[in-house]
Amino acid sequence: MLSFAEEMMLLLLDDQDGSFLPIPEWSMQCALAGAVLMDLALADRIDTDLESLMLVDGKPTGNPLLDPTLERVAASKEVHGARYWVENTAAYADDIRDGALDRLVEAGVLNREEDRFLWVFRSRRYPTVDGRAEREVKLRIMGVLLSDEIPDPRDIVIICLCDSCGIFNELLSPRELERARARIDQVRKMDLIGQAVAKSVWEIQASLAMAAHPVY
Amino acid sequence: MEIGESKEGAVFVLAPTGRLDSANARSFEERVLAALEQGESALLIDFGNLDYISSAGLRVLLMGAKRLQQSGGTIALCTLSPSIREVFEISGFLTIFAVHDDRAAALAAMG
Repeated sequence: MLSFAEEMMLLLLDDQDGSFLPIPEWSMQCALAGAVLMDLALADRIDTDLESLMLVDGKPTGNPLLDPTLERVAASKEVHGARYWVENTAAYADDIRDGALDRLVEAGVLNREEDRFLWVFRSRRYPTVDGRAEREVKLRIMGVLLSDEIPDPRDIVIICLCDSCGIFNELLSPRELERARARIDQVRKMDLIGQAVAKSVWEIQASLAMAAHPVY
Repeated sequence: MEIGESKEGAVFVLAPTGRLDSANARSFEERVLAALEQGESALLIDFGNLDYISSAGLRVLLMGAKRLQQSGGTIALCTLSPSIREVFEISGFLTIFAVHDDRAAALAAMG
């Protein structure tokens, strides 16, 4: 089973050319942080409530995408809320992203290609080699959005993360998104770490908006 | 965590006591699944003696409700304390579960 960070990578890459979809960097960072924390929660290593994120079991998971964050939570002398840990983990988002991409390349899901822009600037693309995993994730998402059934916890997580990144604009047509909006709003509330991710993204967006248009 | 168990008419009632969190979510899940495997199709969870629920507890409830829905059964909750109701409200769970003030009201609605 892929980790949430790996699933998010598949959704964040353009199917046509393997480049990243144009979403704000901080959204991706917070979503990857949330992905790791949610995997740790489903692995029974951490638990959350409305105020706190608690260590349940500091035993490593064996997954290098998750264990560095678990180590930091275990080493913390204070108990913090989920939002603190989203923002703390977001500082390591580049490592999580690179690790997730490496694993997907090793698993034969993606290919790594290097390009040169103006002969100087290097860029990487990750075209899909095996699209089954991505199709499966998209089917799970659509299955939840187009039905009234009680969602599975894993599907709630991926919908929270997609909404925080704003990538439903890329996954759904404007008409589909309009129809699914109420369901997305319902599902995204169901995970407390997902709520913390969304709040972190909104706060950063609000700060940037204030910086661009200050109120005197 | 102790989990009270009773059968009231056609409704199977589980009444967890204390805290429902990562320490005992699995055992609560096992009790819910055992009830479903016994063929119970109407499940009421009475939270009257529950003081605390974490995300792990919410996930177990969700999984139980999903399985019950898939098998055509019904699930309802009752007697939520203000703090637990707040968790349910913030997490949107009030929109997916039938919630009743007390056990009598729940049994009347499920009967």
